[in-house]
Amino acid sequence: MTNYILKRLGQGLLTVFLTVSTVFILIRLAPGDPAVSYAGPLATTEQLAAVRQQFGLDRPVLEQYWIFLQQLFTGNLGQSYSFQAPAMQVVAERMPYTLTLATASILLTAVVAIPLGVWMSRRPDTGKELGVNVLTIAGQSMPDFWTGIMLLTGFAVLIPIFPASGFATWGGLVLPTITIAILQIALISRMVRREMTANFAAPYLTVARSRGVRNSVLTWRYAMGNSAIPVFTALGTRFAAMLNGVVVVEVVFAWPGVGSLIVRALETRDYPLIQATVLLTALLAVGVQLVIDLAYPLLDPRVRLGKAATA
Amino acid sequence: MSLSDTATPTRQPSPSAVTKADIAKAGATRSRNAAKWKLVVGTVCTLLVIIPIILAQVLPLPDANFQDLSARRLPPFTNGHLFGTDQLGRDLLSRVLHGGQVSLTIGLLAVLVSGAIGIILGSAAGYFGGWVDTIISRVLEAQMSLPLLMMLLLVVALFGPSIPVITFVIAIAQWPEVARLTRSMVLVEREKPYVSAARILGLHRVQILIQHIIPNVIKQATLVVLLLLAQAVLLESALSFLGAGPQRPFATWGRIISDGQDYITTSWWMVTLPGLVIVLMVVGVNLLGDGLRDRPRRKKKGA
Repeated sequence: MTNYILKRLGQGLLTVFLTVSTVFILIRLAPGDPAVSYAGPLATTEQLAAVRQQFGLDRPVLEQYWIFLQQLFTGNLGQSYSFQAPAMQVVAERMPYTLTLATASILLTAVVAIPLGVWMSRRPDTGKELGVNVLTIAGQSMPDFWTGIMLLTGFAVLIPIFPASGFATWGGLVLPTITIAILQIALISRMVRREMTANFAAPYLTVARSRGVRNSVLTWRYAMGNSAIPVFTALGTRFAAMLNGVVVVEVVFAWPGVGSLIVRALETRDYPLIQATVLLTALLAVGVQLVIDLAYPLLDPRVRLGKAATA
Repeated sequence: MSLSDTATPTRQPSPSAVTKADIAKAGATRSRNAAKWKLVVGTVCTLLVIIPIILAQVLPLPDANFQDLSARRLPPFTNGHLFGTDQLGRDLLSRVLHGGQVSLTIGLLAVLVSGAIGIILGSAAGYFGGWVDTIISRVLEAQMSLPLLMMLLLVVALFGPSIPVITFVIAIAQWPEVARLTRSMVLVEREKPYVSAARILGLHRVQILIQHIIPNVIKQATLVVLLLLAQAVLLESALSFLGAGPQRPFATWGRIISDGQDYITTSWWMVTLPGLVIVLMVVGVNLLGDGLRDRPRRKKKGA
């Protein structure tokens, strides 16, 4: 078990390293000159050259990579071009906002989606279930930026209940969270329903019912117990994805999180900032993935970690 | 196979006691009707959007890029503009339909690629374990730990917002979802007794995987793939919304909505109507996927 965790930790760090290296190469292949966006369109050739020298962009790419590796191990990825502050610090300041939004969204999703999915699975194909089913389909069919704009117009402009943008008060959390959760609830509740329906149809459940096991126990302990892994995987994966910044929703609501930071960093070709963002979010996401995998044996004793199917 | 029909007590031993009303109430009938309803409504919604999109060139519509500055921001149903006009006086319906051609093409191609890659790699990783799983899971993890939209924006910036690039980018973005889900299902499947039985019978591992395990997980995997078609359309519109969508020949849905965002308080239709078109089509595809999923399950049981 300890060996497995250590092995996975090592693999996770390797993943993060490969990820940041890939991004390092990709952004240097991409067209666009950070010096131009930093110095402005009116800058002379000499000024541009000076800026490049200041940022170390005039050096060979391999040398830049070597410097980057040194920075990586000291945890200091250099100054952000546009913020004039250490890039890691800029990202770290934004991270709590994204974490807050992601946590609020995934909690709301879990609290609504799991009971909803169970409710649907216990009334298959009744009129009510079909109605809720169509609602969940509509929920996963709305583009989040469109939902966001609609909610914004409805509840911040026409009926000004909530602030339109930013995170000045807790009320500002409501609209972005709902925007994200609508899609996630739709997806997760349908998946819960699918898993539960499959388990309700399984012979072991019929046997248990014939033994007189109560309906609530059948639902929550038997069927839910066997649905736990896929549901947990889906919730965890979605949470990990949200840590990378809920880019679109953050842009629509001017949320001061990592997502809107990434868009800005890409527009201005702020290399240190892009790298710092990728490093931090990759570390967090790998951590979450590891926790998901470690939780599998807790959820289903039949799963044995790190053991391959032997022929 | 619903909960309700197992508890029904038999009133009389004779089979004729089952009335037509009983059959109409039975779980199987309800399930068949629900599936049929979803198929019909899904088809109607999808065709309602797709047929005009396919016929966009034939329909008597103004040119999608024709600007008439004297007819700016006309509300719907004025001067023959069914959806009204945008801030440059272009016909909104025409723009939505022509943009839809681009969005749909991208979505369909992307899903075919990502579904195939996801199911093959995901089941291989789950079943074979060992170094196969290590490599595939590492790639999966690396990709899932990347900020997805940022990578898409980056690649689009690198290779230009052309249709093949965006298609490829969406396909690459989507395969992990199929792969990871397939892997986690196969991980549970492979510990079940029938796999040991097949192994004892001397079947080759590849044969067990293809003939026995994949059929047990393929239904859920293909459902995910169908949902991905809807998601591909949504993802493409999100890219366009952020300004990284295809620019030629026509602005796609996300771009149209993003353009209209500044006028939302005065010209509601410029954001609302294109959004509703997306919702209608994606709802249609999803209902269709649902109905199709429910149908073969019933047939198999009857056979």
